Amino acid sequence: MKDPYSESKPTRLDRRSFLKRTGVAGAAAVIASRLPAPGAASAQDATLRPDPAAKRGGTLRYAVHNAPAHFDVHQSGTVANIGPQSPMYDTLLRRSPKDGQTIIPDLASKWEISPDNKKYTFHLRKGVKFHDGADFTAEDVKATYERIARPPKGVVIPRTPLFATVGDIVVVNPHTIEFRMTESRPKAYMLGAFASGWNIIVRKKTLDDNQGNLRQVMNYPGTGPFKHVSRKDKEVWIMERNQDYWNKGLPLVDKLEVYHFLPFTPELGASFLSGRVDYARLLDPVSWRKAKEMQGVTAASFNQSVIQAFWTNMQKNKALADPRVRRAIHLAMDRHTLVEVVKDTAPMQVGGFVYPFHEMSTPRADLEKKLGYQKDVKPAVQEARRLMKEAGYGNGIKNLDFVVRDIATFKLWAVAIQAMLKEHINIESNLRVVQTSVWFDEAQAGNFDLAISAIVSTLMDPSDIFSAWYGKDGPQNYSRWTNPAFHDIASQIERELDDNKRRQLVRKAEDILENDPPLIPVSYEQIYDAYYNKVKGQNPSTYFGIYDVVRWDQVWLG
Amino acid sequence: MKKYLARRAVYAAVTLLGVSLSIFVILRVLPGDPLVAILGVEGHARMTPADRVRIMADLGLSDPLPIQYVHWLVDIGAGRLGKSFFRGDTVAELIMHRGPITAEIGVLALVVSWLVGLPVGILSAFKPNSVPDGIARTMSVLFIAIPGFWLGMLIVLALLFWFGYKAPFIIVNMWEDPWQNLQMVIGPAIVLGLAQGAYIARMSRSCLLEVIGEDFVRTARAKGLREGLIVMRHALPNALLPVITISGVLLGFVLGGSVAVETAFGVPGLGRSLVTAVIERDIIVVQNLVLLYAVIFVLVNVLVDLSYAWLDPRIRYS
Repeated sequence: MKDPYSESKPTRLDRRSFLKRTGVAGAAAVIASRLPAPGAASAQDATLRPDPAAKRGGTLRYAVHNAPAHFDVHQSGTVANIGPQSPMYDTLLRRSPKDGQTIIPDLASKWEISPDNKKYTFHLRKGVKFHDGADFTAEDVKATYERIARPPKGVVIPRTPLFATVGDIVVVNPHTIEFRMTESRPKAYMLGAFASGWNIIVRKKTLDDNQGNLRQVMNYPGTGPFKHVSRKDKEVWIMERNQDYWNKGLPLVDKLEVYHFLPFTPELGASFLSGRVDYARLLDPVSWRKAKEMQGVTAASFNQSVIQAFWTNMQKNKALADPRVRRAIHLAMDRHTLVEVVKDTAPMQVGGFVYPFHEMSTPRADLEKKLGYQKDVKPAVQEARRLMKEAGYGNGIKNLDFVVRDIATFKLWAVAIQAMLKEHINIESNLRVVQTSVWFDEAQAGNFDLAISAIVSTLMDPSDIFSAWYGKDGPQNYSRWTNPAFHDIASQIERELDDNKRRQLVRKAEDILENDPPLIPVSYEQIYDAYYNKVKGQNPSTYFGIYDVVRWDQVWLG
Repeated sequence: MKKYLARRAVYAAVTLLGVSLSIFVILRVLPGDPLVAILGVEGHARMTPADRVRIMADLGLSDPLPIQYVHWLVDIGAGRLGKSFFRGDTVAELIMHRGPITAEIGVLALVVSWLVGLPVGILSAFKPNSVPDGIARTMSVLFIAIPGFWLGMLIVLALLFWFGYKAPFIIVNMWEDPWQNLQMVIGPAIVLGLAQGAYIARMSRSCLLEVIGEDFVRTARAKGLREGLIVMRHALPNALLPVITISGVLLGFVLGGSVAVETAFGVPGLGRSLVTAVIERDIIVVQNLVLLYAVIFVLVNVLVDLSYAWLDPRIRYS
């Protein structure tokens, strides 16, 4: 299927719109060639406009996990919230749905950044109304971001660290707001944080009325393109077009029905293949391949913001505290086979310690020349055995407690990893499959030697993952890993404003991680979507993750 | 009779109290933190000890266990059945919304089991060791052995790949759209009904074989009655008691089986809710649904016992 956007024809082409479109096309080409750029180009004058060829009306039936554990999007980390709730809200900035990368205006029509990157000024749209009829003002933005940056007691927001350097948030006037930073951060990083789909703008009054906790408030007013109509738990969430949406002409469909299906399940595949839904997200590979063969269907794949990995407990196990042993384990992994092992369960790709598709990480071609990532594992295994011997574990290690999350992919991998460890470096482990919540209990309490799971990041930017995954007190540093040289570089990367210098620092950090692994990367996830070609205006193939571009305002039914 | 009823009521209450206590204790000693599901993996990882204390208190999980148990019993007495940890929906609402579809599947499965099991049992009993008996016995064993969820998945996949068909996945009640409703419940009902039908076929066969060897059947034959009349009027009523008894027990299997079969068919009934609640560690929902299943099971078995007197006037409850 052609990109619907390439089919759209401008009704009038003057010099200004020509330059604007050329710029956008150029940016898109750059993005496509170097996918995806971190905190990609931002385009202040690129507020989303309806496709000139678009038709209005109809009902879009979208299938995704829509049964959140609670309704507080800020506190969430799951697609179960973003999937059904995002279309009801707006953010300050957003990622363009055309490429999933370019940062474009949303409730902020434009913004200014001071030369020292320490002040972000956002000019807010006028005339925007919440679904309950209240006016949107800078006070709502302040209340939203105060909550995200400094959550009240009992409120836990995973994106809080992104705004760790936000000092004062100052309402200049009802339609202008300033974020004053205590320290400067790279623009791409901060703009990416403001454009994150998680950071929806909610009413100050809503937060005040609910003591800052929206976990059990199902329908709190947003300013988004769709309004809540009804919800049946674990069945369907129905929304209708917001007639008063500030972005005139959008949204294009009259009704949005979000059906509940767990990811990668045959039920989700069956509902799509039988035509009961128009768009399915997180399809299992078997259904996705079937969809790909179908006439009139587009099967798209894109990168997800998740690493699949296993951790080695350095505090509990003396052997695993030795970097040589962890490097040996890292080299003993046949990653191409691990991707193959789960190919019918979930789509994966080989990668190292930084997103392999990130422009600052080692390019994929170079990565696959490195030990540990090659298709031929013999050289890596040889090196692994040498390291084990050098570390004094030439005869291997016995009785490692390998905690496995009770999810199909992890169970498949655990068996394969167990065999690879035994065969390549004579490490013997006992698998212990546990329910998800138990896994996190065990991981946080340090009751494991090896533990396999997956973790997510908000941004693709290395600073986000370096602090959360590998930081000294990083919440997901389950190995309890520390490396002063790395932490020093990570801190420099966080503050460095020059992209080229940052790239060099990231490569240095990668080298450290390769030799002293804080976790053992297994693979990086991909997302499989499929939709009938009557769904126009959606092209997820260049998106990063499933959390930033879920508004459906630009989508129309042909 | 009144005395008997009172005695049964006491037994039922003790049984249910035992079930409630067991499920309450089991759910609290099982490892796993419900806050992982509530806050998500990232949120859980960033939760401070103070946040934990606050959230556990909000959920009513920081009270001592006996207090939590008493609160639950009070909730049951008030008909509220507590709130889901997560979205704040009450369990009573959940049962009202999803209960009818599961009840429909259960009743339909029982009907299917009788419609299939009884004729097969009769046929087998009156032509023992014949080819039809052999086929019936083989099929019975097969349906007892095949797991319902597996058969359910096969049916779903076969319908999808051969006919491009998938049953509706949103609850449609019978009074709203009978055709959509039937499409939704018929698959799980057949799968559950066939398995229970196999038990009924085997039970009715053996009971009938015993009865048709009795003097009164021989007398009926000697009087020259038609075989059909002998079966329907004399043999069957006398062989039905054990079959009815097992039907009560089988309802428990149907309820238990609905958990897996509803999941396989993607029917959003109570069984599937129970599976989800277990995965999410939503212990309030789990304990109430398990108790509901226990209440139904106990009630059905009391009704079965009471029906004996109606079916066999020789039975007295005094």
